[in-house]
Amino acid sequence: MKRVFHHPPAPRGGKKYWRSLDELAGTEGFAEVLKREFPQGAAEFDGGEVSRRHFMKIMGASTALAGIGLAGCRRPEMHLVPFTKSAEWSIPGKFLFYTSAMPAANGYVPLIVTTYEGRPTKIEGNPYHPMNDGHGGTDLYAQASVLNLYDPDRARSFLNQGVETDEAAFGKYLDGLIAAYGGKQGDGLAILMEDDPSPTRERLRAAVTAKLPLTRWCVYEPLGGSKGAAEETAFGTGVRVRPLLEKADVVLSLDCDFLGSAEGTIEGVKGFSKRRRIDQPTEKLSRLYAVENRYTITGGMADHRLRIAASQVGVFAVQLAAEIGTATGDATLTGVTQTLGKTKATGSFPAGWVEELAKDLVANRGRALVLAGAQQPAAVHLLAAAMNAALGAPGNTLAGIATVSKPAAAIGDLAKDIADKKVSTLIILGGNPIYDAPADLDWPKLQVSIPNVVRVGSHVDETATFATWFAPRAHYLEYWGDGRSADGTYVAVQPMILPLFGGWSDNDVLARFAGLPKPAGPELVQETFREMGPAGDFDAAWNKFLHDGFLAGSDTGTSKTLFFLSAAAGASIGEGASLTALSGGGDYEIVFTPDFHVYDGRYNNNGWLQETPDPITKLTWDNAALISPATAKELGVENHEASGDMIEITLENGAKLEVPILIAPGHADRSISISVGYGRTETGRVGSGAGYNVYPLRSSQAPYYVFTQKVRATGGRGVLAITQEHFSMEGRAQIREGTMETFAENPTFAKVMGLDEELPKAGNPSLYSHPPLTAQEQWGMAIDLNTCTGCNACVVACQAENNSPIVGKEQVINGREMHWMRIDRYFASTDETDPDPEMLFEPLLCQQCENAPCETVCPVNATVHTPDGLNSMAYNRCIGTRYCANNCPYKVRRFNFFDYNQRPIQNHQLYYGPLTTKASPDTIKMQKNPNVTVRMRGVMEKCTFCVQRIEEARIATKVKAGASDNVKIPVDAFQSACQQACPNEAIAFGDITEPESKVSKLRASPRGYRLLEYLNTSPRVLYLAKLRNPNPRMPGAEKLAAFEKEEKKGGASPMTNGAGDASGGPK
Amino acid sequence: METSLDPQLAVRKTPLVANGRSLDWVTEKVSTIVEARTPFWWWVAFMITSPVALFGLICIAYQISTGVGVWGENHPVGWAWDITNFVFWIGIGHAGTLISAILFLTRQKWRTSINRASEAMTLFAVVCAGIFPGIHVGRVWMAWFLAPVPWYEGIWPNFRSPLLWDVFAVSTYFTVSVLFWYTGLVPDLATLRDRTTSRVKKFFFTLFALGWRGSNRNWRHYEMAYLILAGISTPLVLSVHSVVSFDFATSVIPGWHTTIFPPYFVAGAIFGGFAMVLTILLPARILYPQLKDLITPQHIDRMCKIILLTGSIVGYAYAMEFFIAWYGGNPYEQWAFLHNRLADPYLIGPALHIAPAPYWWAYWAMITCNVLSPQVFWFKKNRYNLWVVFIIVNFVNMGMWFERFVIIVTSLEQDFLPSMWHLYHPSWVEVGTFVGTFGIFLSLFLLFMRYLPMIAMSEIKIVLPESDPHYVAPGAHGTHGEDAHNPVPH
Repeated sequence: MKRVFHHPPAPRGGKKYWRSLDELAGTEGFAEVLKREFPQGAAEFDGGEVSRRHFMKIMGASTALAGIGLAGCRRPEMHLVPFTKSAEWSIPGKFLFYTSAMPAANGYVPLIVTTYEGRPTKIEGNPYHPMNDGHGGTDLYAQASVLNLYDPDRARSFLNQGVETDEAAFGKYLDGLIAAYGGKQGDGLAILMEDDPSPTRERLRAAVTAKLPLTRWCVYEPLGGSKGAAEETAFGTGVRVRPLLEKADVVLSLDCDFLGSAEGTIEGVKGFSKRRRIDQPTEKLSRLYAVENRYTITGGMADHRLRIAASQVGVFAVQLAAEIGTATGDATLTGVTQTLGKTKATGSFPAGWVEELAKDLVANRGRALVLAGAQQPAAVHLLAAAMNAALGAPGNTLAGIATVSKPAAAIGDLAKDIADKKVSTLIILGGNPIYDAPADLDWPKLQVSIPNVVRVGSHVDETATFATWFAPRAHYLEYWGDGRSADGTYVAVQPMILPLFGGWSDNDVLARFAGLPKPAGPELVQETFREMGPAGDFDAAWNKFLHDGFLAGSDTGTSKTLFFLSAAAGASIGEGASLTALSGGGDYEIVFTPDFHVYDGRYNNNGWLQETPDPITKLTWDNAALISPATAKELGVENHEASGDMIEITLENGAKLEVPILIAPGHADRSISISVGYGRTETGRVGSGAGYNVYPLRSSQAPYYVFTQKVRATGGRGVLAITQEHFSMEGRAQIREGTMETFAENPTFAKVMGLDEELPKAGNPSLYSHPPLTAQEQWGMAIDLNTCTGCNACVVACQAENNSPIVGKEQVINGREMHWMRIDRYFASTDETDPDPEMLFEPLLCQQCENAPCETVCPVNATVHTPDGLNSMAYNRCIGTRYCANNCPYKVRRFNFFDYNQRPIQNHQLYYGPLTTKASPDTIKMQKNPNVTVRMRGVMEKCTFCVQRIEEARIATKVKAGASDNVKIPVDAFQSACQQACPNEAIAFGDITEPESKVSKLRASPRGYRLLEYLNTSPRVLYLAKLRNPNPRMPGAEKLAAFEKEEKKGGASPMTNGAGDASGGPK
Repeated sequence: METSLDPQLAVRKTPLVANGRSLDWVTEKVSTIVEARTPFWWWVAFMITSPVALFGLICIAYQISTGVGVWGENHPVGWAWDITNFVFWIGIGHAGTLISAILFLTRQKWRTSINRASEAMTLFAVVCAGIFPGIHVGRVWMAWFLAPVPWYEGIWPNFRSPLLWDVFAVSTYFTVSVLFWYTGLVPDLATLRDRTTSRVKKFFFTLFALGWRGSNRNWRHYEMAYLILAGISTPLVLSVHSVVSFDFATSVIPGWHTTIFPPYFVAGAIFGGFAMVLTILLPARILYPQLKDLITPQHIDRMCKIILLTGSIVGYAYAMEFFIAWYGGNPYEQWAFLHNRLADPYLIGPALHIAPAPYWWAYWAMITCNVLSPQVFWFKKNRYNLWVVFIIVNFVNMGMWFERFVIIVTSLEQDFLPSMWHLYHPSWVEVGTFVGTFGIFLSLFLLFMRYLPMIAMSEIKIVLPESDPHYVAPGAHGTHGEDAHNPVPH
């Protein structure tokens, strides 16, 4: 029966769209075409073999598309054609890449997003972005952000007084607000936002301000710190400082974790690693000094590290400034340090540290850089700026960049206005002030006192529960936006999918306020782009902008020359009161740090992040009070297996916190670091019940550290899930490191460490015969330990790419985490009691041994070797004897002890087995990479070298080759997920038989060594030994590269000492 | 030949059956165990062991339905109680076949009193052992991949894997042990068939006695089959535990990768097996006092001597492992032995400045039970004191379990890369499964005691003085063949 196809009715009103002149004219012929199911003549096909088959093909494909494609088909309708109309560039199971960027206060992260049938599944760095230099890397949060999109606990509906309503009602309410406040010019209306360098948001803010000029604008970032304000004091309003680390020979970090994801930028990380990537001893390695209270990954990379209380950092800065001032004759520094002279006396640092550091910095004038931690008080930032000025950093190692955001009130000012009843309607875009506002503001009380609170948030969280209106907030993969990356380049934010739960972006809300309709597409961004885009063809420029993901050359317009405003800065530093330091006697400082997992609490419901071990403490699913071994002894507390003794911290204002301790080697004494972001009360299934809330201790006056005398052990214990319990390498030459001196003496020093020296020259024979490695490509990897900072971005990238499940806190305690990749962290020192051990990182993944011990023992041939050198795993064949994992010397194999992908992991439910629901939330399923099997319980899994990417490249090559036999995959045609994610390019993967490949070049380094070489496993992963560049005049320089020192002494036997357990940490 | 048949010589030896019991007495006393009403204590015992067995089966069902995660295993400890129990039970299964086969071939006549029960024990131990490789895998329903059926799967199993060798070794061992045990049972089943009055029992005994008539032909074939089976079983005693030890010896893990394992495991298996035989038979002798004349202190004494010998071999192997770890100079192996096993918190650890090994107590329990405790058997007084014997053999049972636990768990807990070191703690499910196998083992043994002759009647009669054609009854003067009171046994 012929079915007449009815086209959707034309939109009412507005412009009329037409397909052809015939339609416009309304001719009969056109109407006939519309009515006919098939074009004229189609029914008269001769029925020959070819046509019928062709028909079947098309029908089959459509059915497949309807069945598979539609489930995940959510895209902006304006630009994307539904699959039923066969979008020819979309093939089920094949990825499509789009550029985008992830919003972040310190610069948008430029991205390329992998999508499958309209589902974004994987985030990668955009290699074409100017600051990425051809290799896209991202931080950990960007990697994990895709899971936030699919968080099944995201808010799904609009609420008014807690009652579900709809989008239209919310829009109407907003319109009503405009009308109500229009007369008062917006007085009484306040908007609280997150820090977001988005030009479109600023433009909309200006548009709102034009209509409602008295609107109060407030920006609050719990971890924003005073950096921005201090920089404006030092270098002028509207200027932000941009460190150019690749130009710095000597870098000093004053408690600044610029390599960490919480504080650093991709630009900074990349710049630094550029200066650590060396092949020959003749090349110059930069030198990094770190001064900090707790180990950060920056401290781990440092050549010299000074362990002092966070509150002493300011004192240290004053002393250093004095030295530099004297050496350089800089008037500002001398003047300032003289006024602050009294503070100088309160700090005592290892003899020679300050002096030698100052000498080194001054000697490298113009190539030196001082960075202050975001949380440090303004005075420290100003001192750092003054030192930088004295050291000739501006224009050399420091660049300026215009800030995007117009000045806005601080949350304290807004609180005051609320208390004075000046605010009757508060709109909160993002953030979570009830949870994270400074405790002294008593925000919950303030918020309740406001008649109308409109909350736009991703979750129904603490703040949302005290709001009159709630609207779900769109994820950045769901809306059109724009921003500035860390280097000032203008980047595009493209939606990959329609808002899953109908959320609004900040731009949508602001546009509505400005009296514009809620945008359906990129109109708002296009308008902004029109202002800054190149002249000429707008469409072409816009398309190129979206294609590239950034606007080339757009950073130049924002670069500012830095002029140090010495007078203003000097005056500000003079307010030396902000440099109170730990006096010592009886006092403890409590330091509030960004959390590695959840940042300020915003990633609280992200399971990947919760389960990624903290690089330093290896803690998952929790925060804890980090204290030094000496402080632990003083407090009479210790760590036990999977738990820590609880301590109770009482502040002078009566605020109390009970939290388990975690002994952290290399931590400053009498200093207690606790990360923020945990202990959420209103959060999703992942974050609930995790950790301890530190915000109640944090006040506007003391946002970073606070002093107290009342710290006591309560006698209780808190359960902690730690993935690495052993701190020492036990002298096993696992991570090899040497100083530049050693490297110059013997570039191949790493090859003779441990047992490698004893190996027979001819190599060990293998007991087994092996199938020949005959493929054209032979896959291998090289990992440069000198550029690896241990940031863990690769770990999350691997998890996202390879569908690795999270297992929950209980299972982590049981030692069952499923990461295919892990970062081993060790502390090393020549003396076990040394409170200043070195910290070393080593990424560990399947080494793809050519003589794999796992392969010989598998009774069912489930793990076998491929001709291109992969130790492959056939999940279908695996019965789960775990023999392979037992026999793996690297312990990289992971067993599915439970059905982690199917069963709920919370509340011990894994143990209820068949009695629980068997399903994963649909949204979580949407994240899965369709080219990687989701493993069931009872099978073993491990790193595959991203075999799906290898095969993808192979297929592409074969398709391209056609009938020719040129089927060799082009050099570096693709990257493994970990390699792609690494901002430092520490991981190189590719064909080791191809001399031009990145991996071959890296493998040629003299620093190369293979792990457990003596076992004759013949791994395909090569590590490049770490290098330290100590300043020989610095105190403690002789202790660096502890392991190498032991080796040289000629007796690092694990029987006797090794690089002892440097801790008293968890045993 | 003449001298060996010298009756004077025969009486000088302590008789293997005490109190000069006659052939008829043997038949009567052994058969009545099967024929009499079920004693009350049997019900009590069975009511204890069978729920324990059931509990074990419930634990297994729970583990299979929910996942291996209900056990305490982790990364890096992929095997723990499961394989410990497997090796423990398979070790126990060695004594029976050793007694039946090797002692048979070496003409150790004292074996006849204990061989039937030991063989039965072997079978039940292998049944318990066989449970673990089956259920320890992640996907039990796929365990048939271990079987070489390439016409179905298109691929063979991996013949390089010792785990596959295990499959073959254990199944062969079980099959041969069953055949051996059953062949020995045939004449006794015929005896029971002839004696029973119950129609049901008669049916089954008739069925399984295979038409045994006691004829010369029957005996000829029987003896030949028994000899051949003994010949086949003898290498199996050595091979099975050697193969089991390859699971560890062929690996690269320090503490596993040791060439001494095959002989050390075999000696340990015989050691543990004899201990279990005594653990079972000593109470059986009390429950069935008539057995006291058949299983005499002399038997117990000899088994104690074997325990002493094999225990000392095991002790030597322990010492040799340490020596090689030191002499080999491999720091990983040295770590495995010193830091993972030896270092205790009181003496050696502090003396060597080594932190205590997490499972140091398991190691020292093993040394105490396996090496030190059997040394009391140097003294004859102890070997004849049944309480001492019972206590020591139970020490040995515990020690042998700890030996496997120490080898498996302490080696895996801390291997090459310290970053992945992780302690292991058992879960209740693992413990329950192990306890459950004791329930299964004892339940099966109780059923065996109740329904089958636990002493090889036909064989024990051969060692009676009366079975000697030149036997002269004490005080009698008859010549060969004339003594009507001492018929040649059938």
